[in-house]
Amino acid sequence: MKIELTVNGKRQELDSAPGETLLHVLRRIGYKGVKKGCELGDCGACAVLLDDRVVNSCLVLAAKADGHRVTTVEGLAGQDKTGELHPVQEAFLEHGAVQCGYCSPGMIIAAVDLLAHNPDPSDQEIKEGISGNLCRCTGYVKQIEAIRIAAEKMRKDTDV
Amino acid sequence: MALSNLKEYVRPDELDVALSLVKERGTSARVIGGGIDLVRSSSPDIETLVDLSHLSLSYVRQTDKGVAIGATTTLTEILEAPAIENYLQGVAVEMLHQVGAPPLRNLASMGGTLASAHPWSDVITLFLALGAQVTLYNGVTRMVPLSDLYASRALLSPAIITEVLLPAYAKGTAAAFIKFSRTKFDIAILNCACLISIQNGDCKRVRLTAGGTPQLATLLPAAAEVLLGRRLNQTSIGKAAGIAREATLVRDDLRASGNYRRELVYAGVKRCLACVSRQLSGVS
Repeated sequence: MKIELTVNGKRQELDSAPGETLLHVLRRIGYKGVKKGCELGDCGACAVLLDDRVVNSCLVLAAKADGHRVTTVEGLAGQDKTGELHPVQEAFLEHGAVQCGYCSPGMIIAAVDLLAHNPDPSDQEIKEGISGNLCRCTGYVKQIEAIRIAAEKMRKDTDV
Repeated sequence: MALSNLKEYVRPDELDVALSLVKERGTSARVIGGGIDLVRSSSPDIETLVDLSHLSLSYVRQTDKGVAIGATTTLTEILEAPAIENYLQGVAVEMLHQVGAPPLRNLASMGGTLASAHPWSDVITLFLALGAQVTLYNGVTRMVPLSDLYASRALLSPAIITEVLLPAYAKGTAAAFIKFSRTKFDIAILNCACLISIQNGDCKRVRLTAGGTPQLATLLPAAAEVLLGRRLNQTSIGKAAGIAREATLVRDDLRASGNYRRELVYAGVKRCLACVSRQLSGVS
């Protein structure tokens, strides 16, 4: 079947089998930042924004995403044409929130959704925001710190 | 690939078309809201999916009768709705924060959650206690108590859940929910909820539920009965919790033993009732 997705701002018409997941379609067309993990909705490695909300792309049939906007981690940087990293990506790099990096795209996407809807989250809200993303390296402390710092930066940028 | 035998994915614009498809395709068709369970199930029997997302059933509305929630509304949309925040001191908001994680809540729909009827469902445990009413469409529209839906699953074959109503209650009503799980976002080892209305200081309406026992949530009528017409105090709460502990059917599974669950029923009912008692203190 034909589906139409707007991935990172680019409209694309694609062929998809009715039972194919969004995860598989995105990776097939080159968005390898969308990681294949558990494929059960438990690990969050495949997280993307569907319209403006974080979802596990392994649990979304591509057909369900037909006509919708999808943002992958590749679409976060340079959205303002300068090529600059998103504040969340920047904070993850600068504050040691990345070790092996496999969970990072999903974790960053979840954090972007959180901060878009809650610009000043408490640590508890940050924990809840990334509770769908498993990381086996960092122990989460650095990631929580990075999200807190990104939130501060984004609030300052908004104030300016 | 998930659902390897899936041949059709249909998004009808009319409810009658959706119902006709379900009737025509029979057991090879499934209605979906978020579709999470079906993707995870990979069932080879499913050939047609009928997606309800084009039927304008995503809403949370305050009405005279209570809070109406459309079937395709996601759990996140419910959680963020002002009408839900204002409903019985935000008890549903508190519960929804404990359901899975945001990526799941952004997909899971109201109708799908009720139709899937997972035994550990936090939503069902609380909504049964709240006396939720479900609107079904099978050519005609009818409203049934949520408890009837689980008493007779035949009500759903073939029918489509279109709306859920959380009834409005007069002042003097409070509700509480508690979940026991290994982590806050894990599936419940056991969950409990209660709703109490008081008049002149005595309990006039009482509904208690326990879920994840590990069966689907049920009402606990024997425990509720002992509170009717009585004051909510330490003695009556202890008595109701004790009856709930004895009357609730529990068993072992990989998450907990039946004996442990039995004690959780006692603790859960007691804590829910104590929470409601605090909320109602000063109300006559």
